[in-house]
Amino acid sequence: MKNIPHDSAGKHVSGQSVYIDDILVNTQLLYGHIMYSPHAYAKIKSIDISTASSVPGVHAIVLAKDIPGENQLGPVVHDEPCLADKEVICVGQAIVLIAAENAECARAAEKLIRIEFEPLDAILDLETAIQKNTLLAPPRTMQRGDADAALKKSKHILSGEVRTGAQEHWYLETQSCLAIPGEGHEMNIYSSTQHPSETQAIVAEVLGLPKNEIVVETRRMGGAFGGKETQANHTAAWAALLAHATRRPVSIRLFRDDDQKMTGKRHPYFIHYEVGFDDAGKIDALKFEQHADGGCATDLSIAILERAMLHADNAYFIPNMTVVGKAYKTNLPSNTAFRGFGGPQGVAGMETVIDRIARFLKKDSADIRKINFYETGERAITHYGQEVELNRLPVLFEELSLSSDYYQRRKEVDAFNARNEFYKKGLAFTPVKFGISFTTTFLNQAGALVNIYKDGTILVNHGGTEMGQGLNTKIAQIAASEMGVSLDRIKVNATNTSKVPNTSATAASAGTDLNGMAVKNAIDILRARIVKLMASEFSKSYPAEASAEKDILIKDNTIFDNQYPERKISFAEAMTLANLQQVSLSATGFYATPNIGWDKQKGWGKPFNYYAFGMSVSEVLLDTLTGYVRHLRTDILHDVGDSINEGLDIGQVEGGFIQGLGWCTTEEIKWDSKGNLLNHSPDTYKIPSVQDVPEDFRVQLLQNAPNPNAIRKSKAVAEPPLMLAFSSWLAIKDAISAVGDHAYEPSFRLPATNEVILLSIEEIKKKKNQ
Amino acid sequence: MQENSEITFLQDGEIRTIRIGKDGFSPTTTVLNYLRASAEHKGTKEGCAEGDCGACTVVIAEPHSDSRLKYTAIDSCLVFLPMLQGKQLVTVENLKKDNQYHPVQQEMIERNGSQCGYCTPGFIMSLLALYKTSNSPSKDEIQDALTGNLCRCTGYRPIVEAAAAACVHEGRDHFSEEEKNVIQKLKSISKDQNSIRLLSGNQIYVRPQQLEEALRFLSENPDALIVQGATDIALRVTKKHEVLGKILDLSALSALKEIKTADREFSFGAGMNLEDIRKYCENIFPPLYKMLSVFGSRQIRSLATFGGNIGSASPIGDTLPVLMALNARIELQSISGKREIPMTEFIIGYRKTQRQSNELISAVIIPKMNPNSIVRSYKVSKRKDLDISTLSGGFSLTFQGDFISAAVLAYGGMAERTKRAVTAENYLVGKKWTREIAEQAGEYVYSEFTPLSDTRSGAEFRRLAARNLMLKFWQDTQH
Repeated sequence: MKNIPHDSAGKHVSGQSVYIDDILVNTQLLYGHIMYSPHAYAKIKSIDISTASSVPGVHAIVLAKDIPGENQLGPVVHDEPCLADKEVICVGQAIVLIAAENAECARAAEKLIRIEFEPLDAILDLETAIQKNTLLAPPRTMQRGDADAALKKSKHILSGEVRTGAQEHWYLETQSCLAIPGEGHEMNIYSSTQHPSETQAIVAEVLGLPKNEIVVETRRMGGAFGGKETQANHTAAWAALLAHATRRPVSIRLFRDDDQKMTGKRHPYFIHYEVGFDDAGKIDALKFEQHADGGCATDLSIAILERAMLHADNAYFIPNMTVVGKAYKTNLPSNTAFRGFGGPQGVAGMETVIDRIARFLKKDSADIRKINFYETGERAITHYGQEVELNRLPVLFEELSLSSDYYQRRKEVDAFNARNEFYKKGLAFTPVKFGISFTTTFLNQAGALVNIYKDGTILVNHGGTEMGQGLNTKIAQIAASEMGVSLDRIKVNATNTSKVPNTSATAASAGTDLNGMAVKNAIDILRARIVKLMASEFSKSYPAEASAEKDILIKDNTIFDNQYPERKISFAEAMTLANLQQVSLSATGFYATPNIGWDKQKGWGKPFNYYAFGMSVSEVLLDTLTGYVRHLRTDILHDVGDSINEGLDIGQVEGGFIQGLGWCTTEEIKWDSKGNLLNHSPDTYKIPSVQDVPEDFRVQLLQNAPNPNAIRKSKAVAEPPLMLAFSSWLAIKDAISAVGDHAYEPSFRLPATNEVILLSIEEIKKKKNQ
Repeated sequence: MQENSEITFLQDGEIRTIRIGKDGFSPTTTVLNYLRASAEHKGTKEGCAEGDCGACTVVIAEPHSDSRLKYTAIDSCLVFLPMLQGKQLVTVENLKKDNQYHPVQQEMIERNGSQCGYCTPGFIMSLLALYKTSNSPSKDEIQDALTGNLCRCTGYRPIVEAAAAACVHEGRDHFSEEEKNVIQKLKSISKDQNSIRLLSGNQIYVRPQQLEEALRFLSENPDALIVQGATDIALRVTKKHEVLGKILDLSALSALKEIKTADREFSFGAGMNLEDIRKYCENIFPPLYKMLSVFGSRQIRSLATFGGNIGSASPIGDTLPVLMALNARIELQSISGKREIPMTEFIIGYRKTQRQSNELISAVIIPKMNPNSIVRSYKVSKRKDLDISTLSGGFSLTFQGDFISAAVLAYGGMAERTKRAVTAENYLVGKKWTREIAEQAGEYVYSEFTPLSDTRSGAEFRRLAARNLMLKFWQDTQH
């Protein structure tokens, strides 16, 4: 069962998978259109829709004042209006909604709407936000030991800065929602959302209705990556408002450029560090100050900041460490969740520190990493007090340094660089340690509803959502093996808030961990009922030698008594029997992660259920005249515990790595001086293509490393591999550094575009010639 | 030219006739929007509406000979409905037959080639075109065939492996069984259809079969927009939502698709698509081949034409600098005759050329490469493939003995139009081609241009890279 394909693969390849915009709706369907702000920060003085309303084919035009409920989308802090009212706070903020017969009518109406603005001074970058101290929330601190005192005693001290850029999710399916009014106040929402329960809540609030009137269903998403954790709510709320106003079905699928302009991205970070270490490169003291660009509203910025701070150590034990985190408000679309959720920014800071120490000491950076890895005992405690249990760092380092032939290749790279002037090679070996759990502890819960029908087929409902990661495939595998039936008996239903209520987002890599356990719980309940029934049924024919419940097994679609194997019945027949015997074949399941919890204020405790680990070695070839990089080879060894489905897990590792590689290299986002996004389409925003993946790409899963803390001894996989792309990022830096024979610290940032690279090389050449 | 309001093509095995202006479709309705308007063809997806992601990829089949069809993957978001006239449209719904997956589907399923699945139909169609045109393709060929399809989930490795595993049956499948039948049906369509002239609302769409007709229409309608592959013009519809009034579609003109060879030169019809040019040039014009190999994607190159790329006169215009370096000439034709203009003089300003509004670019004439010349082309872009150049260069040096007798250093992306680095060229003439001379020429290039900072890069990067390309040119020409 370990390599079965994605449960939708057959539908994917034949065009039969149904996404929101593919749902067949009757001819009354209306097209929903959003008119958004052209200003980063401005007062709205007036809105005139009078001529637009009379455009033929226009059914409704909705403004903030028309919202029946609360004009609010903020998932945590209520600082994000659904429609701008008195002011706009970023370019792309929705102001007016239009429902029309088709896109042409809607655009014609939009052209006739007159909005008078009074532009105000906008804050458009992190530097200005830091200067003006536009904090979204009070600064946070995590610390262990006394970093200041330890720094004073350190043999060597280095300080510097790290900058990481924004990243657009670029899910293939843009934000989409279909809202269909039912009878009375009912509203049925088909949404491409990672968080149907929250979409339900936001729609209910905006419409001013109780939650039991709203049903949200999510069959699948055409990619999400965090971008549909909170910001799918926006499109859903807009579609619901228009459906409410017209009493007709309304569909919205954002145009690609609009999606890129309107939605938030990965938070740009500015990180300052000061590190103290000895001659060997062992770190004794480290201070980080992390500054995040939150955009125009809070969204999830504070939780993202928290995770960045929790991952500031990456894989290293640092006896004296202080991390200060600050998130700022700017007049850009509110930045949001993106695979890694702050973790990548925190890790980028730490890996830069290691790289810097190695260059300073003229040592191999892999060796600096090795001597600073978490170990056991005292040296296994993080800067927030959690012990790094079942530490896989040593075994990963040992196995990958051998399988990648790292040390030999280091010599070959150095030799190549000594021979070549115009081309330089770079090599880097980086680890990741990633904490699994929502750091907001109560979110670590999941529900399920499992129905067995009289023909022995099983319908599994759970709170998680399918976005391509294969969650439903893993859930079906778990359900089949826990019940003892074959996979073809299981169907995993579209996620629906009327089946499983009050769920958490499918996020934090925890979809299978949480929902798999909830499904197992429901199946355990059902299995107990079935076993009890069949023990009694089998015993009817053998009153002298009754079947005991403990001996009743379900295997391969058959229920039998292990003591008397001739006492057996097919699973399907047994279910018909159960129905006749008035046994319920429907059960809910529930799971809450045990033994976690921490004090957010003190920044101390056990926020994570466990850690996932991985390591990567990357080699690049740099054309020093143009800044062009070839990714020659990447070797990855990643820990997923006992894999439930190796094909899907490798898909997550490879896909995560490549997404990280895009963020580290070609995915650059720029805004102009008015706050307009310049890279608003794939014409100028460059995610990796098939030509950009490592030419030699070797991905292995760590074997014989079961994880006692999750379903079927597996581990979460979605986010951690993204951070393995730092091996490529730092290999590029290594190649730049080779231009100056590693004597100078290169200017560097993330993404390392050809422009960043070439300017850095030119700077080194100048220093060298001085 | 007969007036008609219908276009006819083959879809799902049936001859389909669309009444333009009557069935809710205009002459500039894209094939993608046509497909998505029907309940049965939701498999084809819109990812970007600009030909950069390939989610909308479909395959067009047209007769290659009496018994064979040629299968081409294209971006359906960039193709106007009338361009389907007389062709077979193959979509993702057509591959699975009698409950059997096509080999490209089967391998994608087994190798985890899909995750979220939204890009998958587009990949399947690019894989189908590859399957039909290549047996046991190399990794390079597979990657080239898939460059125009973006996937955000998988990291591509399983898709490349699926392609290699599937494309081993010499193209045999249920489509090959139907080929003769399809060709018969396509012939029956083209028999009653000649040139198309569609009137719909304020739009006129003309697709002549004869060059004469096209030239006459143009002389009477100098305001007409000229399209062939429409990869650039279509963006005005899909991205800017413009209604295009008068359109002259040259894509049916076989006269513009010919290659003529003479003793000293090749003449390429301006209607040839860039993929055909690329293949033809591999050995005769390597610098042009190299540039075209990183031009757009397979889907884009199969639509985009030589004439279109030159005529749009983009300041970057990937083929322009290399054509300047190759000493190419542009042939223009109007109802009153032909004339030729050297490529180096053809572009006169920002998107401005010497073409008069009653003229068509009819051919591109490239002299055979001079054995005393060295010619190279360079493209600098953020992403190597399917990315518009940040800057590009086409360089040529001609030698008399050890000394440079003529130099063309043409740059794209450095000014409002593709422009030669004249001071550097003048400096080089009479010099030997040494590293010191190349570096000095680079300094002249650096001083000569004042490029813009834009979303692709800052000005300083452009100047530095333009300078360094001189040293790179020198290094590449050392044996």
